[in-house]
Amino acid sequence: MAMILEKLPGLTKGLPGGELLLTTSDYFIDLGRKQSMWPMTFGLACCAIEMMASYASRLDFDRMGVIPRASPRQADVMIVAGTVCKKMAEPILEIYHQMPEPRFVISMGSCANCGGPYYDSYSVLKGVDRIVPVDVYIAGCPPRPEALQYAVVKLQEKIAKMSLKKGLATPQQEKGSRDINA
Amino acid sequence: MTNDEIFAKIQAKFPKIEKAAVPVKDYLTVRLASPADLVSFSQWLKDSSFDMLETVTATDLLGPVDMKGFIRQQNFNPFLPEGATPQIEAAATAGYPYKPAMDLLYVFYSVTEKARVFARLEIAREGVSVPSLVPLFKSADWQERETFDLLGIRFDGHPNLIKILTPDFTVGHPLRKDYAHVKDRFDE
Repeated sequence: MAMILEKLPGLTKGLPGGELLLTTSDYFIDLGRKQSMWPMTFGLACCAIEMMASYASRLDFDRMGVIPRASPRQADVMIVAGTVCKKMAEPILEIYHQMPEPRFVISMGSCANCGGPYYDSYSVLKGVDRIVPVDVYIAGCPPRPEALQYAVVKLQEKIAKMSLKKGLATPQQEKGSRDINA
Repeated sequence: MTNDEIFAKIQAKFPKIEKAAVPVKDYLTVRLASPADLVSFSQWLKDSSFDMLETVTATDLLGPVDMKGFIRQQNFNPFLPEGATPQIEAAATAGYPYKPAMDLLYVFYSVTEKARVFARLEIAREGVSVPSLVPLFKSADWQERETFDLLGIRFDGHPNLIKILTPDFTVGHPLRKDYAHVKDRFDE
């Protein structure tokens, strides 16, 4: 039934009065969700510079419905852009719990993925997936803004597969991001 | 005022203070004889227009870093084949004056003279404390806390000598050469 919405202009004209619309609730909710992913505004290190470039006019994140929000209570996705120090781990966890469900996490750059160049440092958390479940990892040091936008496209594909019947959590969030088979 | 003029003034007041063997860039670098000189020397500098303390920092002169301080395995290169000879730590640089000592560095700046004085002070690594400069310079507060946090040098008379950079659960002072990492709840 989801096909109806994709051929919307032609079909609604054909329907009686153009007032009736048939679709599945999953498709309709996921469409709204994936086209308005509002990230939490915070940057931790140099990856944040690339994230800012994505928001700016040359690459224009806004065309994908990505608008940075200043409060975690209004945000859907958290972009962990940069090195996560152990001292910063608890504030990140707090921000994650303040975000409303369904919430998604993008781990941006080598540092947030696995510690990166700080792989044997005493003060750096070796991967943000040790404290929060991650949906999309981006490789690079730092990744280009195009890579961040590709990550959002991949996250949109993931959201399109979500279903109300299966609950709010994504498969990875239920099993934890370290589970490869999730 | 040139470096020599400043040093002549210092010599007239403090005959025990001499020029450091290696100056910092082209600045006047002096070496204090003992921690007891520090407060009187700083007070005199403050009164003679060097009224801004720019930096308080220190260096650990104890040899190369102990590999115990790192989390990594000995054979940390993932491209080496299984069973290959492990990579070993670099040997001490020949000719470098390693010794069990901490080298403190204070930088004073004179806004009117546009000149800097670098003061070095060598202390033992254990059980020695240095007088705090917080009563003279407010800017010493957080910098002395940082030096204490990372190198474990205690400053006598500091009003609030607690950790400033490392989280509460970090054990030890990470920039000491003999620092050994204690695993915390964020390590595997």
